[in-house]
Amino acid sequence: MEVDGLVYSLLPLLPLIVPFFIGILHLFIYPFRFMESSFKKIEKIALFSGTSLTLTTVIVMVPYILAGEVLEVPQLSLYVNSANIAGTVGVALIFFLTSIFNIKAERGGRLKSSMYNFFLLLFLCCMLGLLLSCDLFGIFLFVELTVGVSVILVAHNPSKLSTEAAFKYLIITAVSALFVLMGTLVVFILAGSSNLFTIISNPDMHTRLIENPHFLMLAVACFIIGLGADIGLVPFHGWLPDVFPGSTIIINGFFCAEPIALILTLYNLVYPFYRIFPSNVIIALMMGLGSISMVFGALLAYPQKNFYRMLAYCSIDEFGHAVFALSLLTSSMSFVAGQYYLVNSALMKTGMILSLGSVFFNSGTGNMDSLGGLFGKMKRTALSYIICVLSLTGVPPLSGFYAKWLLYNAAYDFVLPLGGIVAAVSTLILLVCISMISFIFLIRSFHRIFMGQSAESLEKVNEVHLAMWLPTAVVAAAAILLGLQPNILLGIISAS
Amino acid sequence: MATCITAFGVFVKTTRQLIRLLSIQAAAIGLVELMFGFTNLLTGLGFEALIDFFATFAEWFSSAAISPLIIYWGMVKTENISDQPVVSARRSGILVIATSISNILLCILTSSFLPEKIRTLPFVALVFSLSVFITSTRVDPLKILVGLNMAENALYPLFAESPIVLVPFMLVLMIFVNVVGVFIITEAYRDYGTMSIRKWRSTD
Repeated sequence: MEVDGLVYSLLPLLPLIVPFFIGILHLFIYPFRFMESSFKKIEKIALFSGTSLTLTTVIVMVPYILAGEVLEVPQLSLYVNSANIAGTVGVALIFFLTSIFNIKAERGGRLKSSMYNFFLLLFLCCMLGLLLSCDLFGIFLFVELTVGVSVILVAHNPSKLSTEAAFKYLIITAVSALFVLMGTLVVFILAGSSNLFTIISNPDMHTRLIENPHFLMLAVACFIIGLGADIGLVPFHGWLPDVFPGSTIIINGFFCAEPIALILTLYNLVYPFYRIFPSNVIIALMMGLGSISMVFGALLAYPQKNFYRMLAYCSIDEFGHAVFALSLLTSSMSFVAGQYYLVNSALMKTGMILSLGSVFFNSGTGNMDSLGGLFGKMKRTALSYIICVLSLTGVPPLSGFYAKWLLYNAAYDFVLPLGGIVAAVSTLILLVCISMISFIFLIRSFHRIFMGQSAESLEKVNEVHLAMWLPTAVVAAAAILLGLQPNILLGIISAS
Repeated sequence: MATCITAFGVFVKTTRQLIRLLSIQAAAIGLVELMFGFTNLLTGLGFEALIDFFATFAEWFSSAAISPLIIYWGMVKTENISDQPVVSARRSGILVIATSISNILLCILTSSFLPEKIRTLPFVALVFSLSVFITSTRVDPLKILVGLNMAENALYPLFAESPIVLVPFMLVLMIFVNVVGVFIITEAYRDYGTMSIRKWRSTD
């Protein structure tokens, strides 16, 4: 988080305003029932327009960031620099791709279409707000709003499972949001400011914070626990394996963007205080949560029969990897490795979830025991899925390989001065073993869903509509492109 | 007083009683700050003091009246359940006493180096832990939501230090989360026909 080269610009405000106002426009339609039938014809295109316009406003900022500028709206404590632009593009891109998928996949639910679009665009606004805000209270407001909106989106699914999952999700994440608020209030009371840039650059505030190390640590612990629960890290993950099967296939796609925003927010909340008070306890807390999540997620994903539950545990494993990489705060490569890993895994998971969403759309089941032999019937979907799986597990020459490579380098760099060559190599072996488990259960899922004999009930299954396989094909193409040219993404991140 | 009310909430049987306790707890916690604002308004008579008083009043009214009413509306739409916490009353009592004693000890230990502005932190921690205890020992979703609100109210003494511009946003968010909670509970009640989250799980 650097404060040099600040340029006043309204550009960081645009990605928040655009989805918010398009969402509000949808909301105006809600009370007018006579407009419902005409809105039905354009509802999906309207959502697509909202996400594509937002993506455009985000992409417009990239050249400025590549030129080394930091765009800031000081009145609202919003900023864009090389530390958050990749995440911002990732979030906007995932929403854009999933809104294409939504055109053919959305079949209605508890929310009326205008409300559904409003909440989705508000969700996008919250994600971008979390990434762009450098004010502690702003971050808390976006976290709380994200919780409320995502819970409603889970409950949109008309199935019974969704309400139970949504309630569990609401309670765990609402309590966790209170931890974020407690941390925010403690820091604000001690430092006298809630702006992270001001806190970093003001030596008086450093002194006030260092004078109360116990309370500073309490605040950091609150941030880690609070956001850890929102992300779904072990042991606060209870809601995640229920939310994936409980949500619609499209909402699961949109949710892939959430960890980018939340994990980078966690880093943005922890790293400034580590710089002020470099305590190993902060590293130990984050690394502990990351490591437990990796092992737990990978081991529990293996025996799952429902592919959504498998993906939920796989997500916990991936969040663990990203948090682990970002927790290596003394390693110079930590942030680059963590952010690259995070953006890549979120994109690949979007590809996988949308591919499996297409399978669910056609077959009506998420049980892998009832599936099989779909490769011949859904070739494009199957190919996209396997490319995303191979990339996520780090197979060269796909994008995930570089993500794993950077992570291993950062881990080696971090452990070597602390524990010597034996500890460093042991850490790498452990990380490779966890990746091997992911590789095995994901390849096994491909085999169970797409290979072997097809059941009688799946005889009439065909390839899904272009709007449903195109987003997965784009992600698969991105995996290949970023694998051959990782500098496209690294160039944006590494400047930080 | 707020601590006693929260502790009493652990043992309360019906949803209606717990909602009443939430209202009283919120009123008790906010009253000190409200009276402080009122005194400032009377002595200072400044525009800033007026704004400050209205912001404090809005917060107090929202947590003591609007949030409980939203949950009460949820109860009207579903059921007023009478049940015990999943932990027996005796064990709950022991846990409540143990939590209170450990907080008092913590308060004594930290009093020497506790900064002036966060002197209320041990009280906040105690009410917060008791509220989370209510949330985690109930199977009626409305009681869980009440526990969540009690935990949010616990942070009020710290929140009084925050910038005044945040108050409207906080109020809207607090109400929004409660409305979302009640919406989900009523939908779940329609789906499952029961107000026990244990039964929701077993009927999946």
